[in-house]
Amino acid sequence: MTALKVTDLSITFRESSREVHALGPVDFEIEAGEFLCILGPTGCGKTTLLRTIAGLEKPDTGEVDIPLHPDGGGPVIGFVFQQGALFPWMSIFANIEFSLKAKKIDKVIRRQKVESILEMMGLSSFSSSYPHQLSGGMQQRAALARSLVMDPDLLLMDEPFSSLDMRTSQELQENLRELLKKASTTVLFVTHNIEEAVYLAGEVIVLGHRPGRIVRREIIDLPDRRSRLSDTFTEYLVSLRKTFESLVSNP
Amino acid sequence: MICTSTERDQLVNQEKLTFSGFTLSVHGVLEDYEIDSIRDFIEEYKRSIFNAGKLVLDFSNSPGIDSVAAAVLYGACKQFTRAGVRVRRTGTLPVIENLFETLAGFDSMPEPHKKRMSIRDYFENIGENVYEMGKTLYSLGHFFGDTLYAFMNLVLRPMKVRWSMVLYYMEESGVKAIPIIAILTWLLGLVLGYQAGFQLKELAAETLMPAMLGYIITWEIGPMLTAVLVAGRSGSAYAAEIGTMQVREEVDALRVMGFDVFSYLVTPKMIGLLCVMPFLVLLANFSGIFGGMLAGSLFLGLPPSTFISELGKALIPLDIYWGMLKSFIYAVIIANVGSFMGMRVRGGASAVGKATTAAVVLSIFMVIIADALLSLLFVHIRPGLSL
Repeated sequence: MTALKVTDLSITFRESSREVHALGPVDFEIEAGEFLCILGPTGCGKTTLLRTIAGLEKPDTGEVDIPLHPDGGGPVIGFVFQQGALFPWMSIFANIEFSLKAKKIDKVIRRQKVESILEMMGLSSFSSSYPHQLSGGMQQRAALARSLVMDPDLLLMDEPFSSLDMRTSQELQENLRELLKKASTTVLFVTHNIEEAVYLAGEVIVLGHRPGRIVRREIIDLPDRRSRLSDTFTEYLVSLRKTFESLVSNP
Repeated sequence: MICTSTERDQLVNQEKLTFSGFTLSVHGVLEDYEIDSIRDFIEEYKRSIFNAGKLVLDFSNSPGIDSVAAAVLYGACKQFTRAGVRVRRTGTLPVIENLFETLAGFDSMPEPHKKRMSIRDYFENIGENVYEMGKTLYSLGHFFGDTLYAFMNLVLRPMKVRWSMVLYYMEESGVKAIPIIAILTWLLGLVLGYQAGFQLKELAAETLMPAMLGYIITWEIGPMLTAVLVAGRSGSAYAAEIGTMQVREEVDALRVMGFDVFSYLVTPKMIGLLCVMPFLVLLANFSGIFGGMLAGSLFLGLPPSTFISELGKALIPLDIYWGMLKSFIYAVIIANVGSFMGMRVRGGASAVGKATTAAVVLSIFMVIIADALLSLLFVHIRPGLSL
């Protein structure tokens, strides 16, 4: 079943007398439960694409089609932002519970769900802490929990680990893989880190320089348990790197 | 393709720059998206380079470099050279050497002459600015409409209002503004009473001062000064609060979660201001008149009892109600303009600063325009004022 279909999507930003063609046209589809990474150099329109899918930007042409939820309601979309975007005036518990309030979920069920996701993310002992009292990695973990607690049909992630150090970033990548194994959520993950893309994704789309268009689509045929030092992992890494190099030398 | 372990380590660890002694070695291809890391790296070793007095850029292990990354390195080297550090490159492939030579070529290029603006350019500039202003006002109109729609929905379902936030804004914008409004209007009333009283005394008409001051304070000074002070204190705070949320993507997070940002962020501010503004105007009127009374008794020999009786003869309840009514309109303007400017913030922290300034300027501008229109209307409404 298709979880997301993007057709002929194109965006141009207009500011004063200046026009910037930021993206497209772009066409692609994701099957339910798939993990797709959008990879591309800085400024190629990756974030714009994600924001348009989330409904935060209006496309000039084309459309984004996300099927309705099986119960007939609108699709539930989760979004993990680059800086977490946790609300600083709320505790971690309240931040995660907040997303469920919008869905009008009963208070008892809401609390159960939050407690369960906090435990899964290893944040139980920080539930009453405020975001500024947590490290960057823990904040991103809380942001991920806030999106996952809604059981999203589609999870959009905008370079969520890019501001973290390599070790924390890798730890969170592993956490994410473990969590998604249980949740079977469809994920669209934006990054400029090739290694992160190969480690996480089932499929990678490479966008070229602005206006971002798809220059390559690659299925990552690796087992669920991935080793960053395996030969096949490195093969994918080098192969995608070559595409990147050619983008740099032929902008 | 299978990589050697060295290649793999480089890719995995991304250690493309190393520094030892006075040699900065480049490994692999430096790319445009790595310029921040390059700058950070150079910043880290800047002191050591200055201390060594020389810098060798070693490109022996680099097959190429992106032009943007090269420009960053070239810029850093230029700074070092200016500071007396001897800089040289080693192991550079022709492709890299050419890139640096091209960059050096730009240094010897003459500064481009600034093109003088023609009359046509001036008019084009004016036209563009007017067009931009028109677009801003059009968007502001839309914003007012969206807020009004959210407000009407909340009027029908008052339980959905975030009353805790309304109380918070009532305290922040109302209670905390009491001292400044009371002191400033009192001072203004004192000065106006003193100055007007002396002019009227020349004509032996100082008993007219209470009436004149009453009209000025209740019709204009009270509501207007309150609006200006609230725009400065609260309008800017609203813009800064929402602007910061925009920068930190919190507004987008609310939208994605399915919250209506107008109901959630804008209407509590507007309801809070609507609740406190009329009382702030009443306070301003009272303080201003009290200041005038003090001026009358201190400088004009006008006892408070006479002042109050003269004032009572001149003012009618409509004078007080009108100021309070105007304050509702000012509250809507200030809350909406502040929030609108906050929502328009794009980019970083500097954009928040610009938004707060713009919020205050536009709020005061719109309050004065609204005041002018309402004054025209008041002339036709108030008994004894018809022309």
